[in-house]
Amino acid sequence: MNQPVSTEFGAQLITLMAALMLVVQLLIIAQRMLLTTIRLFAVQSFFLAGIAAVVAFFHNAGEVYVVAVLTLIGKVIFLPWLLDRQVRRIQIVQELEPLLNPTASMLVCGGLTLLGYSVARPFTSLERLGNNTLAVAITLVLTGFFLMISRRKALTQVLALLTVENGVMLAAVALTSYGMPLVVELGVFFDVLVAVMVLGILVYRIRETFASMDTSKLSQLKG
Amino acid sequence: MLLTWTLITPVAAALASLFASSRRTMALLNVLAFGLTLGFGIALVGRVLSHGVISEWNAFLYADALSAWMVLLISAVSLGTSVYAGRYFQRDLAAGAVTPGRVRQFHVLTPLFAAGMFLVVLANNLGVMWAAVEATALASVLLVALYNRRTSLEAAWKYIILGSLALALALLGTVFIYAAACKNAPQELPSFNWSQLMTTAHQLDPHLVKLAFVLAFIGYGTKAGLAPMHTWLPDAHSEAPSPTSAMLSGVSLKVALYALLRFHILTTACLGSGFSRHFLLGFGLFSMLLAAPFILVQRNLKRMLAYSSLEHIGLICTGIAMNTPATIFGAVLHMGYHALTKPLLFVAAGNIHQTFHSLEFRIIGPGVVKVLPLTVLFMGLGAMAAVGLPPFGLFLSEMTVISGGLAAQQTTVSVLILVALLASFCGILQQLFRILPGARRPERARTERATDGLAAMALLLGGLLLFSWWLPEPLNKVMHQAAAIIGGQP
Repeated sequence: MNQPVSTEFGAQLITLMAALMLVVQLLIIAQRMLLTTIRLFAVQSFFLAGIAAVVAFFHNAGEVYVVAVLTLIGKVIFLPWLLDRQVRRIQIVQELEPLLNPTASMLVCGGLTLLGYSVARPFTSLERLGNNTLAVAITLVLTGFFLMISRRKALTQVLALLTVENGVMLAAVALTSYGMPLVVELGVFFDVLVAVMVLGILVYRIRETFASMDTSKLSQLKG
Repeated sequence: MLLTWTLITPVAAALASLFASSRRTMALLNVLAFGLTLGFGIALVGRVLSHGVISEWNAFLYADALSAWMVLLISAVSLGTSVYAGRYFQRDLAAGAVTPGRVRQFHVLTPLFAAGMFLVVLANNLGVMWAAVEATALASVLLVALYNRRTSLEAAWKYIILGSLALALALLGTVFIYAAACKNAPQELPSFNWSQLMTTAHQLDPHLVKLAFVLAFIGYGTKAGLAPMHTWLPDAHSEAPSPTSAMLSGVSLKVALYALLRFHILTTACLGSGFSRHFLLGFGLFSMLLAAPFILVQRNLKRMLAYSSLEHIGLICTGIAMNTPATIFGAVLHMGYHALTKPLLFVAAGNIHQTFHSLEFRIIGPGVVKVLPLTVLFMGLGAMAAVGLPPFGLFLSEMTVISGGLAAQQTTVSVLILVALLASFCGILQQLFRILPGARRPERARTERATDGLAAMALLLGGLLLFSWWLPEPLNKVMHQAAAIIGGQP
């Protein structure tokens, strides 16, 4: 069995990485360059994979290593590569007009972080490892939603969806002993991969048809 | 192996369609696959009635009466629409509306869409059920975008973004349920199977279960098209090819509702009947009442039918929420009849769409009957069924819900249901009277008539009439058992 000291060290590691995930999320929100946003998403997913690896190590749970490796391959390498290629193919590198300026966005996200912490408070006793991981997870979900509504470019909306998903997976690690059963993790993993591919196809077709990736042009259907 | 075969057959059909040489082979493969799954569904009903619960692969797949009933619905609707789809795309190809590649896409994605729905109703693990719901969304979004028009891309984008965000919340809800199970068994990896969770439901942490239900309700409720999360629904239904609209409206909404119901049953077992049914009641009634005014202002045929689906899904929710054996049975019955009626209407709308190359009322009407007499006949009968006129079964199921509600002293809700039903009754009939009968304006050029849906429509209407008058005893039994499961009896 593990010594209590090492478990505490693991808890600190997880807390640190969860906090870094939140920092990266805030950077994504302040960022306008699409390519940088994709890199930041890769960094965020890297910390998620790190958390899974730490959980696997300190719980001696082999299954969770699989989750960590899948996250590493899928979300740190493959999806950013796919999105990167997409951005180069359609040649739009910048979010020109976010609906809110970065300062106001940061302010809103500060509020959402506070909300996330207050929502998570009744459930902190459930956390196995690390402090406030659940609060960070809920904040990621909330700020992901905010990112979704504050941006117009279709690709940024895809990234917003992915950060929401990162938040949900972090919640799964925070609330349960070893994350969810492997079969569920696999199902979620492949769904996310396919979702990004499908979204990529749609983004490409929208770009071809509308000569733009601006989703505010998608406004013909009403009532 | 019945459950396994139900899942494998459509996947195999999808793979075979991917490599099939001709369009005719692909269409035939689809019809064959759904014919087979319908057979499996009937066999499954028999097995469930004689054995109770069936599970396979170490309880990974699990079927009770409710699952068997859903398998039957999915197969019947898919079969009806696949009979139509072959001829539909032949005409679309001739008109240059789609490319051969897109037609192949349709015949590959449709069985995958159906396979996803089968997995939703047969999966025991709540996480796998979530993954399957997401898979149906991903398969169907490309079907919605099939025509690649500006409007269909817009509809597809709204559908996938709204759907994925909502399903992310549903996943969070699923995680919370699992956390509740973990809390009770801190030392081991607890089972995530629904059947297992049900046996320990009363020990779960009520706060976590409440939170999980609310999140799952928003998530799956959006996918089921409950108002006010329904905004994707009319767009997707009107822009998709008609066979896809029929499947979306006929079963996909009910499959999402099924996922919601599993959470409802679990929550009720944990917290008693007071909590989750109020959500179903409020959102169900709101959907019903919202649908009627929107039906009245529609100017597009398929959008109007989509709002009618909103009303029906609202009625099913309300019936379940009233929580008496009679109303729940009425709701289950309503699922079945609606699954036969709505595809019939969408197939008729497909014929009209292909004849007039539009779905706008001002372009197609008045006097459609002069051009497409048989289609209009079927559409009129289908509309009579959809608004709940006798002799069609929807009359029976609606009356079961209302009289059950009145008998259980739930007068306010019953009266509200009646008001909503009457309002959309007037709305749909008024709108259809504007376009179907009457004299055609002479300046309209004669168009080539599309009458491909007649076989499918005759099949669906025949089924509807048959089951309106004659419910075979096993079917009746399986519906009663499904209603009992929803009502919380083991």
